[in-house]
Formats: sequence, C-alpha cells, structure tokens
Amino acid sequence: MRHLHVYILLAVAVLALAYAPRVNPYWMHVAIIAMFYGILASSWSLLAGYAGLFSLGHMAFASIGGYASALLVQWYGIPIPLGMAAGVALCCALGGLIGWVCLRMSGPYLAIFTLGFAEIVRITFSTEDDITAGMAGLHTEPLFRAATRLPYFYTAFGLLVVSLALMGAIVQSRWGLFLRAIREDEQAAAASGIDVARFRILAFAIASGFAGLAGGFYGHYIGILTPSLGGLDLMAVLVVMAVIGGMERLPTAVGGAFAVEFLLELLREYGQWRLPIFGVILLLTMRFARNGLLTPFWLHFVRLGGGARGAAAVVAPGRKDSRA
Amino acid sequence: MSENGILIEGSRVTKRFGGITANDGVDFAVAEGDLVGLIGPNGSGKTTLINVLTGHLTPDGGKVILRGRQVSGKPAHIYAATGVARTFQSTQLFGRMTVLENLMVPGLTRPRSSAHEVARRARACLEFLNLAHLEQLYAKNLSGGQQKLLELGRCLMLDPAILFLDEPFAGVHPHLRDELIKRIEELHRAGRTFVVVDHDMESILRISRRLVVMARGRKIADGPPEAVRTDQAVLAAYAGL
Repeated sequence: MRHLHVYILLAVAVLALAYAPRVNPYWMHVAIIAMFYGILASSWSLLAGYAGLFSLGHMAFASIGGYASALLVQWYGIPIPLGMAAGVALCCALGGLIGWVCLRMSGPYLAIFTLGFAEIVRITFSTEDDITAGMAGLHTEPLFRAATRLPYFYTAFGLLVVSLALMGAIVQSRWGLFLRAIREDEQAAAASGIDVARFRILAFAIASGFAGLAGGFYGHYIGILTPSLGGLDLMAVLVVMAVIGGMERLPTAVGGAFAVEFLLELLREYGQWRLPIFGVILLLTMRFARNGLLTPFWLHFVRLGGGARGAAAVVAPGRKDSRA
Repeated sequence: MSENGILIEGSRVTKRFGGITANDGVDFAVAEGDLVGLIGPNGSGKTTLINVLTGHLTPDGGKVILRGRQVSGKPAHIYAATGVARTFQSTQLFGRMTVLENLMVPGLTRPRSSAHEVARRARACLEFLNLAHLEQLYAKNLSGGQQKLLELGRCLMLDPAILFLDEPFAGVHPHLRDELIKRIEELHRAGRTFVVVDHDMESILRISRRLVVMARGRKIADGPPEAVRTDQAVLAAYAGL
C-alpha cells in the first residue's frame, strides 16, 4: 500500500489526540515538554544534520524567543500569539546575523563561536535583572487560563506538526538538496552554482526562528523563564536527543527528543545516575550507529509505504522515495 | 563572448600565499571551442590559476574577464551561473548523496529549472557517462575513475561554456582514463571549450589542441603541442634547471 507509513503516522496522531484527555497531568506535562524539545531537535537537525552547521547556540535562540515574547506581552499588553510571532521574527533576524558573521567558520570553530554567543545571551539575561528578573526568573503570562494542561498539549502538538510540515517541505525541496550539498562540500557546492553564503544564512535564520517559536511557547506554558534555558546543559541535552535519534532526518531527531525525555522520566528513580546512562548511550551511538539509533527503524518504517533509500522527492519526481 | 572570440581571460594574474607567489602576472586566455592543456611541474601554479579563473580565489593582482566582463572578486557560484564549470584536483563530490543527486544539484541551481526536467537531463547524462546503473549509489562508494566521471557529469549539468578539469586522469585506471578521454573529445567536438590540467603527458598530448606550460608561477610556453614539447625552456623546467 502506497504511503502506508503516512497513514500509520496519521492514525497514531489521531489516537494521541483522542487519548490525551485521559492522560494524567504528570505524563501530559512530560509529553508537552517532549514536543517542545521535538521542535528544537528537528530545527537543530535542519541546521546541523542537513546543512552541517554544528551550532551550540540553538537553546540561546529558544531563550531569546521566550524572553522577547514574555517581555513584549508584559510591556505592551499585546496578545501572546503576537508576542510569540515577534520572538520568532527576532530570532530569525538574529540567527541570520549570526549565520552571516560566521560564514567562514565550520566544525569546531563554529561550535565554539556559537557557544560563546549562547553564553553572552545567558549572562546578559542573568545580569540585566531590572528587565529579565535575572536568576529569580521572569514570570510570564500563561497562554491559556485553563484548569488542565490539555489546551497546552493540543497547542504543542499543533506547533510540532506545523514546524515539521514546514521544515519537511524545505528539506524535500531543492533547498534541502542544496543544504546537504553544502554540508558535504562547500567548495564543490559553490562550483555547482549554489550561493553558499545565502543558504548558510537562511539555514541559521530558519532554524533559529523555530527555536524562538519553541522558546516562546515554553515561556508561556511554564510560567517562568530563567537564563538557564539558554545554557550549555540544556544544549547538551538537545544534542544528545538529536544524535541518539538521528540528526540527519527530522523525524528521527523528534523521535530522539521523545525517547530521551520519556526515558529521563522513567529512570528518575536512579537520580543523577540516569545522566551517565545517557552519556553511555551517546558514546555507543557515536561508535556503532553514527546515523542515530532510530534511523534504521525509520528507514524500515518508510519502506512499508513503498519508499526506499535514495533521492529526496525533489530528485525523482513521481518516485516513491522519501528521505525526511 | 567578447568580440575577439575570447571566452575567458586572466590578465596579469598574481596570487600570493604568504611569502610565496603562486601566480606571477600570468596572462592566460581561452577562445571558444578551444581545448587547452595546462601543464607544469608540481608547484608551478596551475591549480592556483584555475582557482582564480573559476572564482575560488580572488587574485591579488590582475583581473579575470569572462565574455568581455570583469568578474574577478565575484564568488564562485556567479562564475558557475555564467557558464564556468570545474572539477577538482582531489575529487570533491557530495559523498553522502546519491549519484543522481550529485547531478541534480547543479541542474537545480539553473534559473527556472524544474525538478522533472533536471532529473531527465541527469539520467541522460548518467547514460552518456556509463553510470546509469549506479544512480542510487552514494557517490563515496564509487571507484576513483567513476568519481572522476561523475565530477565531469556534475560540470555538464551546468550546461557550461567552458570546463576546467584539474587532473582528471590522476589515479584513474587506464580503461576508465580512455573512457574519460573519449567523453572529453566527444564533448569538444560538440562545441565545448576545455582547459585540462594533468601530469599525464601522454593523455594531455593526445587531446590538446594548444599547450600552455607553467613553471614557478609564470607562463613559460604557449602554442601547438608539437612546438611546445621541444621548447628549450619547457625542457629545462621539467629537468629542474
């Protein structure tokens, strides 16, 4: 049956939405946070997995999106969705700027540069406590005044689906092909006619915009924002999620986010030992499954729908192949 | 093209790396339909000249004129869009992309290109290069010779006016080298312009209509292969004199 995997995913999504009201608040919270990380992991995958731009500043953009939205709502009383949209726009602009500044950097240099940027953002939010309330945390307007988390669950679900649809459209288009070509060899990509600078800036802007969206939602869901949102600890968690799942495909990165978030909760009884466990999983993944633990399962799953390893949709129109 | 038939011209090209002058005021012009062999001992500045003429390096002095317009300083993708294609000394493919995708990339950078049409052209190109049966393989899994052929195919997908091939025969099995020479000759007969850099003198002499020799960053000879191969300056350069 053609596109069987798509129908299965749709059925799972419908079941999840229908079953959601019966989930207890604790696990619903875990699911919401997993979806928050899902948006972040997939957008980081777009940047690091597709374009090969290994940024350690992704959580800083989530933090900027969150603070921007919260402060705009607080200062000007604008509707929260408008505040979140402004946060996304700001992150896109800043992401593009960072992409432009580090055009000639790659690998460890880019990682260190973006790490430095993230630290500047975090320290600024910590220090400017007149504006951000510093480490005490900035109280934010809730997105919904509801007795349950259900509206947040549906919103997170909607944001994740829309984000994946938009990013999926990008990676399946010629832009996705160009980003992968840049990842493989920038010089050869330029010789092939790709405006490498433009696409690197675009990749940074788009990925940062989605990070800002996730951060905006998070701020108005949790109710308080602290500078640690943009810190290296959470960035490391995000990298672990994407790498364990498979950073070269959006669905596997999201799968990694869900797997790590739920496993962290399930292993809570082991206290701090659960973190070294993930460290070991990460080491094993890098040693034995560099494409991520979930990638083989995802490829097998896609083949159920008649797809096979090979060219993206843009490459072979009319074929059954699918990559993302 | 410019009025005098020159497609691309490097005028007084100078390029320095630290204290080393890789190109020292080199004049190099290629007319449409030419097939130029560019040779010289190691370190003579051949690849640097190609890098300058294809936009991968900005010259410190002199200029590059493409179809009568000064283009030096512009990025490489602008050169590619204007019909300048190149291969690299060490093959530079998109390793973890399929053979077909490698050809799709340059095709899709062309304005108003449709994925369907580009895929059709890419498959026709793979047929021409005898690589059609490998289209779903990752490029990194091809043999050295097949990779050279694929790199040539990637150039062709730009529908270029001129192709710069940097050491296309290096490390290639003789059978595939003959295949490569056959394809270059076919394309030249069809009107393509080539500049071929290589150390394989037999192959270069076989295909070139004009031979340019470089030594120590300067052009020391330029003319028909028969004349250049007996040039005293060339013999001295190769003998290390």
